[in-house]
Amino acid sequence: MTEPVWGPVHVDIVDLLADHPEDVPAVVDHLTKLQDLLVRLPPLEGSCPLADFNRLYLTITSRVLEGLYDDYFADPVFLSRLDVEFAARYFDAMRLWTESSPTTPRAWSCLFKRMRGPDARPLPSAAAGVNAHINFDLPFALVTTFDHLESEPVDGTEQHRDYLKINDIFADKIPSLRRGYLERWQLLLDMLNGDIDDWYQGELVEYTRDVAWRNAQKIWRCRHDPQARDGERARLDDNAAALGRLLLSPLGAFLQ
Amino acid sequence: MASEVDSAPLVGRADQLATLRAALHDDIGPGQTAAVFVTGESGVGKTRLLTEAAARLRDAGAVVLTGSCLDIGDASPLHPVLQALRRFDADLTAAQARTSSAVRGLLRTFAEDSSGADSAGALLERVSRGLSLIAEGRPLVLVLDDLQWVDRTTRQLLLYLLAGLGDLQLSVLAAVRAESLQGAHPLRRVLTELRRLRSVRVLDLAPLDRADTDRLAGEIVGTPLAPEAADQVWQRSGGNPFVVEELARDLRDGRDGLSDTLREIFLSRVDVLPRQAHAAVHAVAAGVEPVEHWLLAEVLGLPEPELIEALREAVAHRLLVGADDGYRLRHRLVAEVLAHELLPAERAGLHRRYAEALTQAPAELHQARLAHHWRLAGEPARALPAAMAAAREAQRLHGFAEAHRHWSAALQLAATPTSGPGGVPPEVDRAVLLEHAAETAHQSGEHARALSLLAELAGGEPLDPSCGLRIRRARYLAAAGRSAPAEAEYRGVLESVDCTAGERAAAAAQLAHLLVLQGRYADAGQRAREALELAATVDGSTNSVVLASAALGFSEAFLEDPDSGLAVVRRALETAERSGGPEDVACAYLHLAELLTGPLNILEEGVVVARRGAERVAELGLGRTYETRLLAIATNGLFRVGQWAEAEKVVAAALRHRPSGADAVELLLARCRLSVGYGDVEASDRDLEAVATMLAGGGAPRHVLPMLILRAGLAMWQGRHDVARQAVQRGMTESRSDDVVLLGTLAWHGLRAEAEAHASRTVAVDPTAVRRLRDAVDRVTAKSATAAGPVRVVADGFLALCTAELTRLDGRGDPDAWARSAAEWDKRNHPYPAAYSRLRQAEALLARRGRSSTAGTLLREAHEMALSLGAVPLTSEIRTLAGRARVELTDRAQPAGVDRRQGRPRSTGVGHGRPAGSGSVTVVAGPVVDELTTLTAREREVLAAVAEGLTNKEIGQRLFISERTIGVHVSHIFDKLQVRTRVQASAIHLRNRGE
Repeated sequence: MTEPVWGPVHVDIVDLLADHPEDVPAVVDHLTKLQDLLVRLPPLEGSCPLADFNRLYLTITSRVLEGLYDDYFADPVFLSRLDVEFAARYFDAMRLWTESSPTTPRAWSCLFKRMRGPDARPLPSAAAGVNAHINFDLPFALVTTFDHLESEPVDGTEQHRDYLKINDIFADKIPSLRRGYLERWQLLLDMLNGDIDDWYQGELVEYTRDVAWRNAQKIWRCRHDPQARDGERARLDDNAAALGRLLLSPLGAFLQ
Repeated sequence: MASEVDSAPLVGRADQLATLRAALHDDIGPGQTAAVFVTGESGVGKTRLLTEAAARLRDAGAVVLTGSCLDIGDASPLHPVLQALRRFDADLTAAQARTSSAVRGLLRTFAEDSSGADSAGALLERVSRGLSLIAEGRPLVLVLDDLQWVDRTTRQLLLYLLAGLGDLQLSVLAAVRAESLQGAHPLRRVLTELRRLRSVRVLDLAPLDRADTDRLAGEIVGTPLAPEAADQVWQRSGGNPFVVEELARDLRDGRDGLSDTLREIFLSRVDVLPRQAHAAVHAVAAGVEPVEHWLLAEVLGLPEPELIEALREAVAHRLLVGADDGYRLRHRLVAEVLAHELLPAERAGLHRRYAEALTQAPAELHQARLAHHWRLAGEPARALPAAMAAAREAQRLHGFAEAHRHWSAALQLAATPTSGPGGVPPEVDRAVLLEHAAETAHQSGEHARALSLLAELAGGEPLDPSCGLRIRRARYLAAAGRSAPAEAEYRGVLESVDCTAGERAAAAAQLAHLLVLQGRYADAGQRAREALELAATVDGSTNSVVLASAALGFSEAFLEDPDSGLAVVRRALETAERSGGPEDVACAYLHLAELLTGPLNILEEGVVVARRGAERVAELGLGRTYETRLLAIATNGLFRVGQWAEAEKVVAAALRHRPSGADAVELLLARCRLSVGYGDVEASDRDLEAVATMLAGGGAPRHVLPMLILRAGLAMWQGRHDVARQAVQRGMTESRSDDVVLLGTLAWHGLRAEAEAHASRTVAVDPTAVRRLRDAVDRVTAKSATAAGPVRVVADGFLALCTAELTRLDGRGDPDAWARSAAEWDKRNHPYPAAYSRLRQAEALLARRGRSSTAGTLLREAHEMALSLGAVPLTSEIRTLAGRARVELTDRAQPAGVDRRQGRPRSTGVGHGRPAGSGSVTVVAGPVVDELTTLTAREREVLAAVAEGLTNKEIGQRLFISERTIGVHVSHIFDKLQVRTRVQASAIHLRNRGE
């Protein structure tokens, strides 16, 4: 028998994934438990590439949860459903990977493959996760949420504004996070110019989130047509996977 | 089954089959529902598992209906159900004439024209009635394959039936392709929501493991495989049974084993087919499955013997499957493989032949298929009328989403230039198509699409868009939640000189309504008055009058001139009765009842109005919708004034109409509120599950919070404070800050859960949760200060409860805080929270070891209130405390029924001081003498039935409540009468009949 996908924590992760969180507090709880497990993955305990992404995602989602409690959003029903649906796709990808399913989105599998990799670097890893999650998962999470709430993705609505507020949370969290796990790379990064820095803070998140919204609108229009919908899915997966591989390539390492 | 396809052994699925049988048959109690959704990748054996499970369930005595959903994007609503019924009917023998006539009766209801306000719900009801006639008391199993292609109406039907609203013992077994769920499929959310219910399971079907793969391959080949061959099959198939089977067959038959993918397997097989068999496979691939034999004969143009020969070959090569109702591809994967193998002209030719054949003879899904084939044949002019007919058909079955798709297709077809020989474009008015497409888009919730279609429609007109069109645009905008542009559009109509007074009245009334929803009461009032003035000048504008009056009534109530608002709404009812249609009357009653029981808090009168209105609208033939809604209002009003027995009766009556959608959810919540109060855990659970099932269909976030509040309330009676906390936390993250009443209720439940966790030491208090609850209370306090009067008053009641619960967390509870809370609720005439507050006040007093006489009085008051309500868990908490404090509860210094606090008639006791006219209460006849005074009206009814010698089940059937609830009533009766047997209870009943 080959070694289980999640090594020594395999059973714990499978058990955790059997649960489907249904509200934002439960999502945060789930991500917290996952974090505790991921950092126990050898050989890079504490700095597994997926743990790097998960840590970032946990921080962001905790902030979203605070926002929901603190009356930060205009349409909390929408935002909670979106958050839960969004997270569900990350957990789904992990579940598929656990089952070694060929249908694991490639956008994700390029990161999962590196889990045991010898050359994991926190920043590109987290960025690759953000890329898969936003470029691939988010448009579909948006469409599903709108469909469920019998609403639709229209620019300039309360829901659109709430959606954009998440950008602020990302922008707010990313620099500190970067410093958090970059300590020894910080100097190197500062020696590079600020453009790359901006690219991380601004472009990657804000730009891709806007693309995700546009893509959601695109999928929305063809959501009743299974063929077109699947085509759209394949296209997004290809794009996100290509970008993900780039981030995880030596070029991504160079960014760090 | 006519083919050898299913002769392959079923390997490695024994556990799943046992699970299915248990979940769908053995473990279901009478009247319960269950569902299993099997998900898995293509070829993993979902269909096979469904077929096997269906056979076993049939053997176990269930009525099994099987259908599949179609992947043509423009299928017709309820198609899988229709197909299942037809198949079932075809399999019935002559001896089953009664079942057969029930099936045909149901099939006919699909063909009937049904229009009207709530016919979508009525259709669901008729289908469920028909199904129960077919089942004749046997368990019914609905097996649906390829659920990823399900239409919206079928989806709603499933949820309706699973929620138990069809009153049918039904289980659903459905297969869903896992790949589809990865995208943005609507079922995805539905399954996530359903997953947590006890009655629903999602079974993820995994590929076979190595041992089962070897076993399956070995059984097909006939001998165990050589190690390398077995290795190869395992490597190449990944345990996917479909692939294992095909690879093993190739091995057995000595075909070269080089093909690695299914695509290659099938292509190589298609290549070796004789010419005519080849044609047959491609013809089926281009058709809509199942392709009937006669149709295939027409399309292929072969003489019968040759056709049979060709089909035999195709079946033998494992590409086609034949069944009584026609031919299918062996697997949908085959269609995907074949899709690229034909030249475009060949494919178009096939579709043309299909269309021509179908034109001559009607078949299942006739119009949808005609449209599909003509379109793909490159004949838009001929596809157009079929698309329009399919759209009308879908509309008739309330499949607005499907209808919209057909109308959109028709629009596209009408715009396609025709070149072919079929080419005379039919005379179709594009504006009519646009109008239909826009309205169906609106009806199916596609507001943005509706608006863009409307824009196109307006663009076609030379001058300004007409007033009618602008009102419609505003309506769509409002429905899409875009109030600002909607308001601008309504204003535009109002200012336009070209619009008639009637149109302007309608616009003003709609605008007023929109403004009330936004909380802009002053503006709303002004617009409403404008609407009423305009409407006074034109005949036939009663619905504007009703709508505007309601808006005015509510805005006045919120602006603290309730009397004049009430007068306006009463007048509107008179106007509606005098000159309006049935719907106007119904709306007027609804608004009046909502105003009274809502912002004005004149509950008794509101209940009377709601019940009178319910009777009136039933006479007018609007029972299903408006009567149901009015009875829901009456139920909630009765609950709050403490007439629970009466409320229970009303809600049972309302549910007999088998409402669907939001109306059903409303009533289930109302009934659940009563069950939670009674402490009937099982009934509460069942209703909560039913509500969750209905909400899984999406669309009604406003019902989620009441559901969570009830979940928390129930969990607290069960001592599961952590469950209560979770429900409250979810509610807090999903509630809008402007809804201070709901937020206040939630915060109270959350604080009560923490306080009780603290007191009982069952669960540790969560300091973060408490901090957040405190913040929420502060926010509600701040917001309610600026809220309209009536809202503030209700919110204040919950804030008083919150404040008092906080004192329990800080120490032993502040009796003064609880006294204030009790006073708040007494003022509002809501005995339930008032009794609860007294209990806590007494508890706090006793904890301070002071004034135990006051505590005793409070406990006695609380006890009496809780008893009259029938609030079992609250009563028992009061008794526990009284027992600990040695307070005698049964000491009655004053006769029951008179409020000792203010001497005002109490509405908590039933049968005393109830307003005259509060409906058709049928209390046990004869004067009620002392021994029975403590019983509620409902308990007396139950007691009378007990005395007649009926069992709990029989009483339940008579009174339309669950057997379990009767049990609760009976134990309550025993308790109050201090007896231990039914005979003793009956004796007291007979003694007190008062001859």
